[in-house]
Amino acid sequence: MRKLEQAPGRFREVARRKLADARVQAAVEVSTARLRAHRLDAWGALEDVEELRQRAHDVRMQAVRDLDRYLADFTRALEARGGVVKVCATAEEACAYVVEVCRRRGAGLVAKSKSMASEEIGLNGALEAAGIKPVETDLGEYVLQLAGEHPVHIVAPAIEKTKEEVAKLFSTIEKREVPADLEELTASARRQLRQVFLTADVGITGANFAVAETGTIVTVTNEGNARLVSSLPPVHIAITGIERLVPRLVDLDPLLQLLARSGTGQPLTSYTQLITGPRREGEQDGPEELHVVFLENGRRNLLGTKYEEMLACIRCGSCLNVCPVYRKTAGDAYGPVYSGPMGAVLVPLLVGLRNAPSLPHASSLCGACTEACPVKIPLHELLLELRRDLVERRVGSLRERVAMTFWSILWSRVPGYRLSTFASRLGQPLAGKVGPGKVWAGGRGVPGLSRRRFRDWK
Amino acid sequence: VSTQRVQLFATCLGDLVFPQAVADADLLLREAGFEVEFPRKQVCCGQPAFNSGHRKAARRVARTVVRAFSRSLPVVVPSGSCATMVAHYLPALVGVEPYDVWELSAFLDDRGVQLPARNEGRTVAYHDSCHMLRELRVSAQPRRLLERSGAEVVMLPRPDLCCGFGGTFSVRQPEISLAMADDKLAAAAAVRAEALVTADPGCLMHLGSRAEQAGGLPVVHLASALAQGVAA
Repeated sequence: MRKLEQAPGRFREVARRKLADARVQAAVEVSTARLRAHRLDAWGALEDVEELRQRAHDVRMQAVRDLDRYLADFTRALEARGGVVKVCATAEEACAYVVEVCRRRGAGLVAKSKSMASEEIGLNGALEAAGIKPVETDLGEYVLQLAGEHPVHIVAPAIEKTKEEVAKLFSTIEKREVPADLEELTASARRQLRQVFLTADVGITGANFAVAETGTIVTVTNEGNARLVSSLPPVHIAITGIERLVPRLVDLDPLLQLLARSGTGQPLTSYTQLITGPRREGEQDGPEELHVVFLENGRRNLLGTKYEEMLACIRCGSCLNVCPVYRKTAGDAYGPVYSGPMGAVLVPLLVGLRNAPSLPHASSLCGACTEACPVKIPLHELLLELRRDLVERRVGSLRERVAMTFWSILWSRVPGYRLSTFASRLGQPLAGKVGPGKVWAGGRGVPGLSRRRFRDWK
Repeated sequence: VSTQRVQLFATCLGDLVFPQAVADADLLLREAGFEVEFPRKQVCCGQPAFNSGHRKAARRVARTVVRAFSRSLPVVVPSGSCATMVAHYLPALVGVEPYDVWELSAFLDDRGVQLPARNEGRTVAYHDSCHMLRELRVSAQPRRLLERSGAEVVMLPRPDLCCGFGGTFSVRQPEISLAMADDKLAAAAAVRAEALVTADPGCLMHLGSRAEQAGGLPVVHLASALAQGVAA
């Protein structure tokens, strides 16, 4: 199973590696800049983006604040249509349920369409361990699966891969030379994936939203793969977080208007699917069974807390594309699944601060994320709150806490301030040689304390 | 009509590391006809502790602002992030009424201050500091003032990008922090600016000391750029 937990220091270590890789730097910079520019254009073309963001925020918060009620509504509605709802408290439980459904159907091959929730629970590993072969059908994720890697970006998972690398991977599969040409690569991917769609025993998708009123799940894709995955195999399993519920069908209006615009800049993705139940009597298409797996996995920790707004997240990737830290480090540094500002907030909340203590500090608090969030989550303020909890729950460094306390006592009055700055000036020769000053000086000049403070000139 | 009085908040970085920039802010205000008070009890807004999550320590230091400054006169700050701290966070942190606080360029621009043409023929780039840009929403004013001082202000390709200072971020994630500084300095050089101007002592310290070590264009505080000219 893949763990969301992140050891202290891992962020910096991975970031250092990514910074040294010029190819990754260029790829991430180009793709995030492009996605950001498209988002800005798309937002700009809306009549009143602020009104829409506020509506989207309100709809999401309405669901989050009354989650159990909407969960019950959804369950009732979907069961009436012949679907099955399963709420899972942990990743293990969710994996076990999916494996059990697959086993019952004697499944050997599973076709998957992109799902962050399935990444979160490490579903592919669980399926493989049970002798079931999962194949990703989102092109970017398929490429990464062939390469034995994991997505680095929510919306554009393979932004670090060049077409030459993809050609090499495809050539191995097709056992012939596939040219590094976009059309050739697309044709090759189609040949490979079509086989998977047609022969898979079970299809697994995520769900961007789940409508409580009607028991409808919504998926959006650009490749149409979710449509094939959810309609060709005899069983469809959709996995999503419990927080992705929305009260009514009309609530999709602000959300669908904003989701694609914020992720890729499109007014809508190429395919928007609303699925309400499995195939009914007399229908030609669709699966015999439909299971909707709602994942808790720590989400309930946030309910009713100052962090509740984080559950409004619609996983559009907008905050990643504006984040200057993500831009330098790419996704991997944040951990195996969620990255960028949303990951830095969400992961410590799901797994506990102790298990991801460096993430709240993986930000310069510039606030670009908050400004880019379509559902108005105050991401940088939540990071600030997490830092506060690091201190107040005694998770952060004791040395830092002691230093801050001493410093604040000295600087709480002018005489202490004068004394400490006088002493610092005497200690100036040591300035770049110890503690944080030494870290600073590894790459920057040491700013001299002025011989006279401004207050002494005055 | 009596001259309008203002209170100058030097900020800790201004007082200790960039006293010349504060003196320049002082000069600009006096040239514009304001009577400038320097409340002697001032120390620091508490931001270093606040942004690292140390609320108690931050509160202790932030109270110096309460003891030093009056609510009946404008507080002018030659620092975007400290102005943000005092305007947006400090009142709730220590439980006081809001202050009439202004970042320097926002104040000068609001009062329609005329500036001598000290930057005639100069080409400069202006670096938006994050809190000033996104929380105070002050970005046109510093550029307007620079133009009024005769400078041509060229736009950086990605003015929204943080320079990488971020307070303790600069020493917690030094590699990323430096890479961000390098991007900013390279962007300013690429648009052929003679100097990079910023209104935030934090960005100034970070970008300036990186430029000094790695070789880069001069980084100048806005107050100095306006009071002395970027070439001085």
